[in-house]
Amino acid sequence: MRRAVTLLSTLVVGTTLLAAPAAFAPARAQNPITQDGQNPMGAKPTADSVNEEFLFKNADKITGRVSIPDKKSANLIQPQGREYQSFRERYLPWIGAAFILGMIAALGAFFLWRGRILTDDTQESGRKILRFNAFERFTHWMTAVCFIILSLSGLNYIFGKRLLMPLIGPEAFGALAQWAKYSHVYLAWPFMFGVAMMFVVWIKDNIPNRIDWAWIKAGGGFIGKKHPHAARFNAGQKGVFWMVAGFGAAMGVTGLMMLFPFALLDINGMQVMQVIHALIGITFIAGILAHIYIGTLGMKGAYDAMGSGKVDLAWARAHHDLWVEKEQAKTASGPQLGGRHPAPAE
Amino acid sequence: MKAFIVAVVAAIGLAVAAMYALTSNQRFAYQAFATTGARVSEPGTNLVGEKWTGDPNTNDKSESAHGKATGEPSHPKRS
Repeated sequence: MRRAVTLLSTLVVGTTLLAAPAAFAPARAQNPITQDGQNPMGAKPTADSVNEEFLFKNADKITGRVSIPDKKSANLIQPQGREYQSFRERYLPWIGAAFILGMIAALGAFFLWRGRILTDDTQESGRKILRFNAFERFTHWMTAVCFIILSLSGLNYIFGKRLLMPLIGPEAFGALAQWAKYSHVYLAWPFMFGVAMMFVVWIKDNIPNRIDWAWIKAGGGFIGKKHPHAARFNAGQKGVFWMVAGFGAAMGVTGLMMLFPFALLDINGMQVMQVIHALIGITFIAGILAHIYIGTLGMKGAYDAMGSGKVDLAWARAHHDLWVEKEQAKTASGPQLGGRHPAPAE
Repeated sequence: MKAFIVAVVAAIGLAVAAMYALTSNQRFAYQAFATTGARVSEPGTNLVGEKWTGDPNTNDKSESAHGKATGEPSHPKRS
């Protein structure tokens, strides 16, 4: 009897062991991937699943679905954004450094070669003539102050996290960058207003003419000691005027496109605007560096024109002889010379 | 020098005026993009807080918080 029970138990266990795999077969059939990841059917679920490449064959960007009113938030991947990011993070810092450092190096080399441009003393030395009245100086300085802040805060967008953050730490840089952003956005308005005012005030003196061509051919007085003829503004100054007017307008328009996102442009358009804004901004900074150099260190007596508004008559005669003659011709007695209350240049 | 100082003051004045003009037309994301059926975020309970200071609790104490949502607060989703 005991033997029969043992035999029966052995049969039951053996049958169970043999039948168990068959019982799990349906479950295995539903999940044909074996333990080592190989599919016995030859399928490759991971490789065959929907991927970026497949989705981009159907549309130029990958979008999802959202229930909020802002349908733009459904945009998940936009390949053009990668090109923009590549420009922004890889090329722009090098372009910016090359332009600005290149200009500083060029100005340094020019200063070493030419030195400070001086004016010979004449019998007119010591007498003053009003070159820019108070309103002109106000307009210039308002635009200039805004430009300097906009330049520094703009460069912070490109170089801040690379150069400044390692020096002052992320917390200080975060606060600084936030205030730089505020100043960039809000000082843009007086800057645009200043550019518009300068354009209106000075355009009549900045129309190119034959005198400018002669001034350029003569090297603008940078080469040699003789100064070519010039009216109120020489060709170089006219170049600065038109650069400020053109670049200022371009910076204003592209900046407004970013200041009011999606008002007129989509995300692609705004990225293009940012590229233009950055490239023009860098060129603008480099150009104004040259303007600052020649207005201060590069030429003796030039700063007085925007500092006090009055310049030495000998300086004015040397650099803007046609303008001096015109101003003196306005008044037979030449009241601009010497007196305590010089008449305005306009 | 006087023209320079007046220019700086004018620049700051115009910038402040621009700031008020621009911010008066600004709306928080939960106001701009919320509907009756969907709320983007809830001020005071999101990760950054209503003022984006990173501390959601302190903002709830100010009664005159600009743009504060009115009505019954919604409860966090369970699922």
